[in-house]
Order: sequence, then structure tokens, then C-alpha cells
Amino acid sequence: MFITIRNLTKSFKKGPNLITPLQNLSLEAPRGEFLALMGPSGSGKTTLLNLIAGIDSPTSGDLMIDDHDVARLSRAQLAKWRSRHVGYIFQLYHLVPILSAFENVELPLLLMPLSRSERRARIDAALDLVGLSDRAQHRPTELSGGQEQRVAIARAIVHDPGLLVADEPTGDLDGESARSILALLTSLSQDHGKTIVMVTHDPKAAAVANRILHLEKGQLVNPTATPASAVS
Amino acid sequence: MKLLILALKNITRHRLRSLLTMAGVAAGMFLFTAVETMQHSLAKVTQASADDTTLIVYRENRFCPATSRLPEHYLPTIRRIKGVREVIPIQIAVNNCGASLDVITFRGVPAEDLRKYNPDLVVIAGSYENWIKRSDAALVGETFAQRRGLKTGDKFEAVGINVHVAGILKSKESQDNNVAYVHLPFLQQASNIGLGTVTQFNVKVTSSDLLDPIAKAIDETFRSDSQPTVTRPEKAFFAETAKQMIELIGFTRWLGLGAVAAVLGLVANAVLLIVRGRVKETAILQTLGFSRRQIASLVSFEGILLGLLGGAIGVISAYLFFHWQSFTLGNEGLTLAITPSPTVLLKGLLVALLLGLLASLYPAWRASRQHVVQSLSQ
Repeated sequence: MFITIRNLTKSFKKGPNLITPLQNLSLEAPRGEFLALMGPSGSGKTTLLNLIAGIDSPTSGDLMIDDHDVARLSRAQLAKWRSRHVGYIFQLYHLVPILSAFENVELPLLLMPLSRSERRARIDAALDLVGLSDRAQHRPTELSGGQEQRVAIARAIVHDPGLLVADEPTGDLDGESARSILALLTSLSQDHGKTIVMVTHDPKAAAVANRILHLEKGQLVNPTATPASAVS
Repeated sequence: MKLLILALKNITRHRLRSLLTMAGVAAGMFLFTAVETMQHSLAKVTQASADDTTLIVYRENRFCPATSRLPEHYLPTIRRIKGVREVIPIQIAVNNCGASLDVITFRGVPAEDLRKYNPDLVVIAGSYENWIKRSDAALVGETFAQRRGLKTGDKFEAVGINVHVAGILKSKESQDNNVAYVHLPFLQQASNIGLGTVTQFNVKVTSSDLLDPIAKAIDETFRSDSQPTVTRPEKAFFAETAKQMIELIGFTRWLGLGAVAAVLGLVANAVLLIVRGRVKETAILQTLGFSRRQIASLVSFEGILLGLLGGAIGVISAYLFFHWQSFTLGNEGLTLAITPSPTVLLKGLLVALLLGLLASLYPAWRASRQHVVQSLSQ
């Protein structure tokens, strides 16, 4: 998916103060790009990620994703758009504990007009892609952190969205599991053409991206940084 | 359907909490169904319908069977009135004239007339012929026999009268199932009323349209007699005679409403707890693309399932309880059998479903209105 952002601002009131986590931010990301967002806490990374994912709305500016004017969609339209075009990967996986891996991956498909066999085929393919076919009937409590994140990734891709957003996807994982998850995300970008926007504090994680964007006080500080220059 | 399955899985998440909620709902709906069963049973015996063709002729200004005494020789006079199809004189003896849960009622009738008057009676044990042959024999109603543990061949004593059980009978009329039919002369003598005197006449008319004109005609006929009569349709007679009982049952309607309110509060509280305990998870579902309507539906389904599952346990338990227990309320010799009804069963299930839905409306609204980003950061 092609992301075009022009003069994007997000502000909200907190008590008597007006907070502006993003101010006049502009950027473009071509289809299939793996973009890393870095910056100190409170710099606006997660706010930008939430706006791109369509779970929050900007105060002003333009946010086009492919031909969808996301900034101007209603709440109901945004929900429908997310269900078709976005996969969200959380730092703490956020799987539903009473559901098996299979059932967790099935959740986005419940919103689509698919038969049971069609759903099964898609879930099997997604779990196969993340290497967890043999854990389909396991509940989250029976999986390791790395495996839980793989299930979360399978849930994010099962409906074949063009855009994946990931909020610190390796933040809660050990080094080995983190490397494995990053390899999986790289593969999704390179081999499957997914546009990925990932928030991370970890320079090693950011290094796998095609481009790294640094945010400070709601604005980009090096819009053209490559991974090598940004990490160094 | 897919959301319904998800809702079902969700309520198994906190099994103990869900079970306790359903147990509370079951208790409330048991009480509601018990009250509704009483109301329904009462309505059945007091609300007039087009099928009613029975009149009760009683002694004017008398209510308890012990004080209503009419000459048996009124019989041919009543029978001659145009529109009268059948008449039977009945002597009644009861152990208690007031409202009671255990009324024993003997009905003395001419042995040769019982079947003619009431062809719906079916003898399910023993035989009608044995009853005819033996002067102290009793045909005991099915519910009466079940309550007292009586079977054919037994002897029992009540109201100072000793009888031999010649058979057990079953009837479409609940009154018949709750009395013991004995021979009229036997009861007249055994209860010291004396031959020639009866408590009442039951009169069947050819059409329900004729109930009022024939009642007037009967009372007019005996107005100047030494024993004037008051004649009413059977259901009106029940409604007037058993006023105390009806008032008591009428009061129970408030208990039913209380039970409904308790169930409503219980389910609403349970669903609200579910919503509060799942703020982040709801936000995750919203992030995946679940719309407000789908979130609200999911929460509502959980409330409906809690209400319906708990309600079904309570309603079906109450149905079976009244089916097996054969409860009766008696007043002045009239018996109200508290009988379970499929209509009440369905009504109970429908009420449980609606309560579940109603109780989950506010929690569903709250869940669907929560802000995704704020909820995710909790």
C-alpha cells in the first residue's frame, strides 16, 4: 500500500492543556516498503502509527493510503477499512486467552463473508507461514513469547491486508525470538509485498527496515535516513 | 452466528462467575415461573370462555358447602327448564372450609348418573362397575390419590368418613382430579346431612349463550321457595367463592415482578463486570476491525446467553417441579390445581431471553463507545 501523509497534526486536550503529539508531519512510503519509526518516548511514534492504522483520527492534514482518504473516514468506515486493509501487531501480542491459536487467527475472518472451509484454508496458510502449523490447537498460555507473537502476526496477515503496523513487536522477546520475528516481517515485506510500519526503540530491530524515520516532538528529524546511517 | 459462538466461549472464561450468575437467574426464573403457573392455573378456572356450559346452583347467601343445603327434589324441576341438558345433585363434604393447601373433598353423586353427567371421566385403575356395586366405594381423582398415596383396594378415612378405593379416575377437569366421588346416599348419611338434602346442583346447558338466562330462570323458579337458590356459571362461582385464594394468588404477581427485577439486576451486573474486565480486549477487537455494532452484539449475546441458559434451568425446573408435585389450593370445597403449562414454559423462556437482552443494553453501549487508543494504553 502507498502511504501519503501531508501536514498531519494530531492534538487533544488533557485537562487545561492542549497536547500536540504530531505537528505538520509529512512523509511518503511506497508499496512494499518496510519503515521503522524511532524516537524517544513521547515523540509521537505510536500516535503516528495509530493514525496510519486508522484507530485514531488526525486533527488536520491529509492521510492517504492507496486511494483511501483515511483522515476523512467515519468511525464505522474506518472499522470496515481496518478489517480489510490493516494488520496490527502489538508489543504484548494481545491474543485472546480462551481461544486457541487457530481461533485467535480466525478473529479477523469472522468479519468477512467466508465459508468455514475458506476460513480454515486461510488460517492454515497463515499459521504455516509463521511456522506454527503444529501449534494450531494450543492456547496462548501453552506457547512461548516468540510463538505468541508469531500467532499475532498470523492474525495480522490472515485477511491478506496490504498494510502491517507493528508497535514494538520485539520489545518483549529474547534476542533469538526477536531475530526470528524480524526475519518474518522482512519476508512479509520483501516476498509478499506488504507495506510495514514498525515502531521500535531497538536500533538492531530498526536496521532490518528499508528506511528509518526519527521523530522528535512530533516532527521528523531525518526524513531520508537509510538504516545504515540511522543506526550508526 | 460466528459472534454467538465467540460469546459462548467468552462466558466460559470465568466459569464460576458465569455459573453463579446462571444459578441466580435460575432461582429468579423458578420463582417467576411458579407465580406465572399459579396465575395461569387460576385464570383457567376463573376466566369464562365460549366452551363453558356449566352452572352451579347453590343455596342463596351460603358459601361454605357445610351450610348450603338444597332439597334434592329440585332436580326434576331444574331438568325441565328449557335449554338444560343434564343435571346432577352433589353433596359435598370437606375437611376444611377455609383456604388450605391440603383440602380433602368428597363429592356424593347418584352412582348411575356420574358417567352420564361427565362422560370425560376415565377410570385408570380399578373399575367403575366396582364403584357402582359397593355403597362405601370411592372413585378417587388421580391427583388426590397421588397426594395421599392411595391405590385401588385401599381404605381411608377423612372428614369422619370411611371409604374403600374402588378406582382411580382421570379427567380433563382439574376439579375432578382432586376429589373423591362417593355414592350420594352414603355421603348424605355418613356426613349426617340426611337423605334428600344436597349441597348444590351442577347443571349443563346446551349452549354457553344460555348460561345467564337459565341461571335466572332457575333462581326465579325457587325465589319463593323455602330454600331459594343463587345460580352462577361455574367459573364465576369459583371466582366469587374462592375470593381469599384469588387475592392471595393475585398478590404473588408482585413476587414474580420482584424476581424479574432481581434477574435483570443480576445479569446487568454480570455483563457490566465482563465489559469492565475486558476493556483492552475489546479495543483489540476494534483494532482488528470489529465495528461498534459488532462489539455491542457480542456483549449482548453474552447477556442473552447468561439470561437464557440460567432462565431455561429455572423455568424447566419449575415446570418439572409442578408436574411431579401436584400442588393444589383449596377453598370452600373448590380446588385449584397448580398445573404446569407449556404456555407458561415458553413465556418464561421468552422473558429470560428479553431480560438478558435488556440487562446487556447499557453494558453493550458502553463497550461499543470506548475509545480504542485510550483503551489500548490502559
